[in-house]
Amino acid sequence: MKILGWYVAAVLAFLALPVLVVIPSALSAGSTLGFPPQGLSLKWFRNVVDHPEFLRALAVSVEVAAASTVLALGLGTLAAFAFVRYRFAGRDVLQLAFVAPLVFPAIVYGVAMLMMLTPLKLTRTMLGLTLAHVVITLPYVLRTVGATLHGVDRRLEESAQILGAGPWRTFWHVTLPLIRPGLIAGATFSLIISFDEFTVSLFLTGPGLMTLPLEIYHYTEFTIDPTIAAISTVLIVLSVATIMAIERFLGFERHFQV
Amino acid sequence: MRAAVRGRARLLALLGLPAALLGLLFVYPLAHMAALSVRTVFPGAFQYTGAHYAKFVSDAYFLRVTQTSFALALTVTVLTAAVGYPVAYYFVRSRSRHKHWIFLGVISPLLVSIVVRTIGWTIVLGNEGLVNNALRMLGIVREPLALMNSFWSVTVGLVHVLLPFMILSIASVLGKIDTALEESAAILGAGPLRTFWRVTLPLSIQGVAAGSILVFCLTIGAYITPWWLGRGKVLLFSTTIYDQILAIVDWPFGSAAAMILVAATLAIILLYFALIGRVARR
Repeated sequence: MKILGWYVAAVLAFLALPVLVVIPSALSAGSTLGFPPQGLSLKWFRNVVDHPEFLRALAVSVEVAAASTVLALGLGTLAAFAFVRYRFAGRDVLQLAFVAPLVFPAIVYGVAMLMMLTPLKLTRTMLGLTLAHVVITLPYVLRTVGATLHGVDRRLEESAQILGAGPWRTFWHVTLPLIRPGLIAGATFSLIISFDEFTVSLFLTGPGLMTLPLEIYHYTEFTIDPTIAAISTVLIVLSVATIMAIERFLGFERHFQV
Repeated sequence: MRAAVRGRARLLALLGLPAALLGLLFVYPLAHMAALSVRTVFPGAFQYTGAHYAKFVSDAYFLRVTQTSFALALTVTVLTAAVGYPVAYYFVRSRSRHKHWIFLGVISPLLVSIVVRTIGWTIVLGNEGLVNNALRMLGIVREPLALMNSFWSVTVGLVHVLLPFMILSIASVLGKIDTALEESAAILGAGPLRTFWRVTLPLSIQGVAAGSILVFCLTIGAYITPWWLGRGKVLLFSTTIYDQILAIVDWPFGSAAAMILVAATLAIILLYFALIGRVARR
């Protein structure tokens, strides 16, 4: 077990390696992206702020993530209720269809959406991009909300109704607070997935509408310097903050049951 | 009777909107794409044809691309299984106090942005990167090795991001094995290696299989990591679809290629379930 412990530590180091090298590289004073960094400077962070296209792309990413998460939360919760509370013909097939985007090759979905949205003139629009992101994030909400809904003791809802609460009141004061952890987890995943989405967005964006990951990619096509390491560092800080928030409110393992 | 009707109306109210969204934005686009793949041209007047499929399976370039994709998927699957199994075993069996951190470490690649991951690997594998600078400092090489933009840089990037899937799949099956079985084997005189080989490994093979199928399918469909870490030097199924659609703008042929990718993925999943079914019946 001891040797195995060292082995596991080595694998964990491998998993952490890309993150660990990014931060020092961002602080390099030299102009090549490399490791170890040369000197120490904050100028590459300065350079990020000096590129308005990064900020514009960040705004697009945040808006799309927020809009698609709101829609996915609403629709995903509705669907979760249907699947958890009802037995009906075709339920299994439909449920499979709802989670299919999780494993479906993103490139194929991107292509299919491009071909559908082009005649409708919806490519390179916030609407088109948001709708595609809803399909991608919906399965996450469905799974997290579905999982918590399974655990809701229906006697609590029945008690509320016996005590005279109508269906809406019961939902608002009993069911909703009980499924809140699932909603928070679903929203978090949805925000992360949408914010980080690349492949499908690649087909639906273009000049005038660019998400942050794609803007960074386009930057690297012409220049490979520590600027991208600086942006990455900002993204790492954001990730760590999110992880700590989830950890704090929910605990992680429960939501990653395979 | 009234209750049944009311139940049906409620179900419709719950499922109507989500199902409509899924139909319009997931099922329809894919059906539309399938229809495009058998058209001679798009847009414009057309006839139905299977020529795009025929072209894909007869052209040497596309065959090579398919071969590379499958070779990559197989390499990544074998590597993640071999590297991940001991980690899953340790995670399930050890009484380490740090299990919580191990779990977070294992899933960390999934929590880090794709941008960070690929840039991180660029820094590690680049000409001025960690590996090359270390090798130069040790005097092993004088000129930097071209590690980036190769089959192996893509492999490293994919193994990194797919390891969590493999480890979690194996761990979930390993965790359900009754340790009494292993103890019995030990009592009956089997050494630890023999016990592992004859008892633990066969019992956990389903987790390896589930993880493998997941990793294989995700690699076959992977686009960004190969694109970013391969930079046009590693031509795969997915990069071909991109080229056909956005660079060459041959939508019917690109659709056919995409359909073949979907069919291949489905075939692998069905094969897996057939195999699992046979194992389960035994």
